[in-house]
Amino acid sequence: MSSKISGRVSPQPCPHLLDFCSRNGSKPFRALQDCIRVKPPGGRAAIRREPFEVPRCGTCDESSRPRLYACVACAAVFCHAPPIHSHASAHALSVPGHEIAVDVDRAELFCCACRDQVYDRDFDAAVVLAQTITSTTSTSGSTVTQCKATGSQPDNLRKRRRVDYSLWAPNSRENAIIENHSIPLHDATNGSLISSTELPWGLRGLNNLGNTCFMNSVLQALLHTPPLRNYFLSDRHNRYYCQQKNGATLNGSKNSRFCLACDMDAMFSAVFSGDRTPYSPAKFLHSWWQHAANLASYEQQDAHEFFISMLDGIHEKVAKEKRKTHSPGTGDCCIAHRVFSGILRSDVMCMACGFTSTTYDPCLDISLDLEPSQGVSGKSSLAKSNNSCNVEADCTGSSQNCGISTLKGCLERFTRAEKLGSDQKFFCQKCQVRQESLKQMSIRKLPLVSCFHIKRFEHSSIRRMSRKVDQYLQFPFSLDMAPYLSSSILRSRFGNRIFPFDGDEQDGCNEVSSEFELFAVVTHTGKLDAGHYVTYLRLSNHWYKCDDAWITRVNESIVLAAQGYMMFYVQKMLYYKASEKQAASWCDVRK
Amino acid sequence: MTRKHSVNRPPTPDGAEDQGNEPILQEIINIKLIESGEKERLMEMLRERLIECGWKDEMKALCRAYVKKKGRNNVTVDDLVHLITPKGRASVPDSVKAELLQRIRSFLTSAAL
Repeated sequence: MSSKISGRVSPQPCPHLLDFCSRNGSKPFRALQDCIRVKPPGGRAAIRREPFEVPRCGTCDESSRPRLYACVACAAVFCHAPPIHSHASAHALSVPGHEIAVDVDRAELFCCACRDQVYDRDFDAAVVLAQTITSTTSTSGSTVTQCKATGSQPDNLRKRRRVDYSLWAPNSRENAIIENHSIPLHDATNGSLISSTELPWGLRGLNNLGNTCFMNSVLQALLHTPPLRNYFLSDRHNRYYCQQKNGATLNGSKNSRFCLACDMDAMFSAVFSGDRTPYSPAKFLHSWWQHAANLASYEQQDAHEFFISMLDGIHEKVAKEKRKTHSPGTGDCCIAHRVFSGILRSDVMCMACGFTSTTYDPCLDISLDLEPSQGVSGKSSLAKSNNSCNVEADCTGSSQNCGISTLKGCLERFTRAEKLGSDQKFFCQKCQVRQESLKQMSIRKLPLVSCFHIKRFEHSSIRRMSRKVDQYLQFPFSLDMAPYLSSSILRSRFGNRIFPFDGDEQDGCNEVSSEFELFAVVTHTGKLDAGHYVTYLRLSNHWYKCDDAWITRVNESIVLAAQGYMMFYVQKMLYYKASEKQAASWCDVRK
Repeated sequence: MTRKHSVNRPPTPDGAEDQGNEPILQEIINIKLIESGEKERLMEMLRERLIECGWKDEMKALCRAYVKKKGRNNVTVDDLVHLITPKGRASVPDSVKAELLQRIRSFLTSAAL
């Protein structure tokens, strides 16, 4: 009887546990329920017969062993510290039927005969219930993020089941369908020396119109964001139709004159036309200036700020059509949110009483702080190296010991429980007073495309100065987001349990994997006020450097050594890699 | 002549147990720590420090690598404990050890042992 929770198979019970359950049912576990003691805050569950009992091994009378187990059948406590002391195993061997025990400090089941942890659904449910009773959750609170939305529990979230990524190649029937329903793209280059068999489709330089590298870099990334590219190239936003509609309702207001989505549509058409001469996104720039009037100048801007502003602009236009300006968390309102919008969960727990307040906020990207550059194990760390990435071969363990910051490290810190300082006391609804609290972030819903923004520009209002952090950050080509999901983070609070948590849906109509692939990196070189943005794109498993109008193919080591500012990852299932040969992409369907 | 068996012979102690006064004092300290709740607080503090300095992540990585090598179904909890105990004990940062010792020392003076 194997079952899946969050796409993972629950561990099978050992024969001793099966035997125990069939003989005794769930009675012994229910009896244990009375002995579950939960210490708020933190909610660690322990097994004690009396609240202040000091557990001791029945054989050697020791209470200081690291692991003490209580036999579920006879409630006798024994120590287990192999290889020298294991009176728990001795007990299991001497008394048949007494193999199953429970760790008194962790409330986790253990089979003393198999010498391994075992799991029982009913038992875990009982422990989690006991732990959650000490901290009731509330889902109130509104938040202000990029997309203003109420923080209520997202019940409009389609039920999703997490699955593992699997390879796909079209079979002959699917191939026939593709051939019958597609129009081959023709190479439109006139006398261009670079034939289409050398460079992938859609690769075209963007002219710098005056310090607009911040815009060009983000546009290059978006032009190759698979769901966004597919949306525009399949004519889902037709600029002629949209202009016609807006023209008809022209009432003199500013809104009807520009549409960022139309300009995107025009750009996609131009960039994917096959023409390799650099394109000038002047119309798009003009439209964006009208949308973000405060940023309209020829000064350098922040690429991330532009990214958010641009998505906002698309949302404004497209969402008005569908009249669905709320619930951006589900992504139903516009293509920008459909692609980039995820949901973050924030838990704030009162340190005094354990009361936890939970809020859900949609987000278009995740902004991460860089780790402090010093190494951690008390030994001298490697200096903050901006360019060396060959050290990674030696660091098979935690990268923190080697002093190199990694994207995973940043994500781990992002989802770590953080003690809010005494100057940031949170108002606890149960205590009715401001208390010190523990805050933890996690990802409730993954977007189709995850954009990670590294906070490299620090603005200090106190010292009235800004500075740039050049620290190198290592980022992977493939990323599994499973450990940062709400279900995983919540699960880790309760110890090792097989129990479905927030986000673990067992029946679902939508299947989604947590594996992501990197496809674009926006990098920044130079100083805060005098710098340059460059984008690296991954197409057909090759890397291309997009430096305004100049596109060159580069080795992946160049990309790995670059200073990442924004990293774009797409769900692996939307990124079935085209084969190495160019012919395997769209040209293949020509009859 | 028949050999006499001592009737009041004390139970044979476990081979690895220390003889003498040390375990008794340790026992008393342990009990006092638990009863006052200090042990719980020290454990929480220790957990926090070991997470902050990356020790926990390091141990996790070791375990993951081992499980990957051996196969998920061929590893027990005992295997993992056996694997990481020596490395874990050795890599606790000195600052953490010092802080813990300081806390225990001040507890002992306050408990007037």
